[in-house]
Amino acid sequence: MNVTNAAQRNRGTIFVEDASVIDVQSFPGKQFVIRLHAAKCAARATAGSFIHIQCDETIPMRRPLSIMRVDVTEGWIEVLFKTVGEGLRALGNKKIGDAVSVIGPIGHGFVPSSERPRTLLIGGGVGIPPMVFLAETLHEDNFDWHPLVIMGSEIPFPFDMTTSAIPTPWLADEISGSMPLLESWGIPSRLASLQGYDGCFRGYVTDLARKWLMSLSKSELAEVELFSCGPTPMLKAVASLAREFDLACQVSLEEFMACAVGGCAGCAVRVTSSDGVAMKRVCVDGPVFDAATVFAE
Amino acid sequence: MRLDSPIVLLSGCVGFGEEYTRIEGFSNRDAGAIVLKGTTLEPRLGNPPHRVYETPMGMLNAIGLQNPGVDKVVDEILPGLDFTETRFMANVCGSTIEDYAAVTRRFDDSPIDAIEINISCPNIKEGGVSFGNYPEMSAKVVAACRAQTSKPIIAKLSPNQTDIRENARLCIEAGADALAVINTVMGMAIDAESRKPIIGNVRGGLSGPAIKPIALLKVHQAYEVAGPNNIPVIGQGGISNAADAIEFIIAGASTVGVGTALFYDPLVCTKINDGIADYLKRHNFASVSDLVGTLQY
Repeated sequence: MNVTNAAQRNRGTIFVEDASVIDVQSFPGKQFVIRLHAAKCAARATAGSFIHIQCDETIPMRRPLSIMRVDVTEGWIEVLFKTVGEGLRALGNKKIGDAVSVIGPIGHGFVPSSERPRTLLIGGGVGIPPMVFLAETLHEDNFDWHPLVIMGSEIPFPFDMTTSAIPTPWLADEISGSMPLLESWGIPSRLASLQGYDGCFRGYVTDLARKWLMSLSKSELAEVELFSCGPTPMLKAVASLAREFDLACQVSLEEFMACAVGGCAGCAVRVTSSDGVAMKRVCVDGPVFDAATVFAE
Repeated sequence: MRLDSPIVLLSGCVGFGEEYTRIEGFSNRDAGAIVLKGTTLEPRLGNPPHRVYETPMGMLNAIGLQNPGVDKVVDEILPGLDFTETRFMANVCGSTIEDYAAVTRRFDDSPIDAIEINISCPNIKEGGVSFGNYPEMSAKVVAACRAQTSKPIIAKLSPNQTDIRENARLCIEAGADALAVINTVMGMAIDAESRKPIIGNVRGGLSGPAIKPIALLKVHQAYEVAGPNNIPVIGQGGISNAADAIEFIIAGASTVGVGTALFYDPLVCTKINDGIADYLKRHNFASVSDLVGTLQY
């Protein structure tokens, strides 16, 4: 299967590319989507992998950003970020034609299993990008996946919400806000927020996810796997939900990063497996981990 | 010991020697030597997150010597390294003088080319103070290691002390064949909102361009002692480009250490090598050694 094989490729070569900015879109809440021409990176990226980007020549430390979309033919990658400090603010100020140095693609991505085709993708805030990448990968794969995407945000979503034409009988009709891109791929998506946005579920992504899971039969549940990226409290809640329904769950983690290629061990997190406790590097051992190994009961 | 390039890749920045070779365009051959991750007698998990944090023109790190222990390094990692590409040096750490001696003895019976002694580790028998901050304690560590090996020994000196010259003198008397100057400068970062330290270990080592002026002075002071004894100094601390490297050589360094700069640009070694060669040609120096310690005042 293409998807699972592709995810394994990222133990391979990492490229250093002088990428050029080919599009910049800004959204409320200081959110930006930047499209970069970085052909080598695009050719090898998989859902869950990331780039280590130099925001500006005056700020030498790089920032890790999840890849949201790639076009291998046109050689571009797209990233979404919210400006939190000086570095990403500088990146948000980039104009079409500007050059930025990119290292990538880096990391083990998500690996869906054909035994669990009902993939539930849960993205929160700036954790949305890898969920979009995974959804597009499943959409383009020749296997019959059944993805559902749930996104949460406490600031306006970084896209112009559309009303979904894909029915979700497990949910009230008025909760029909969705991401246009996913809608165009025929993938159902629903949005959650505590802010009371029109068309969105008022509550947490995990509350919305629970509604769907409770609508499934036992045999359907056996075909479900969770994939998630977002703030740590959300990932903990997703891991807890997976445990509650006895589901497999893969989460993409974030940590301050220096080298991003496994050289410094600066981004290590505590992982517990049958081999015992270990400190694993988010950059090259992850960023995707089995949720049960990083969030204890 | 002759090195093919004056660049030494620094301990803690390049893992166990193979991590950066995944990057297209990077070669271990571009460095004269590579110092492996700090190694202790027993395996160590290292510190909890956060382990790294960006600061103005630099970064703090407190990795906590995560390593699999010297037996695993010698038995499983060293056999996988290509010693025809560059020189590999061990970095020996310990909590007691006996630990340092035992790790050195283990590396003595290995293909490693030289042994760097990281005397900045905390001494658990003296309340956790760093061996390296006290000249007598530093010399005791060096002497204990000297007794265990005939391989070249490098003492990595701390900047966190009153007079580095005295420390250099005692380490040379104790049998050091070379000095590495400087290790990181101790610092901390605080999150004012939570009033908590950002680094999991509370304190960490500052590296990057921010410490370059400190390092230049310490290198020059160490050279005043080492030069007359024909003891080479590996100058390190914030070197990011060829101009920085040349300044360190003029201050008295025979070779230059590169660490944090790799995080900015993984392909920086070739640029530094080319820049040094260009400088030597422009100023009619036949080799790097002719430029060492030529500071005029």
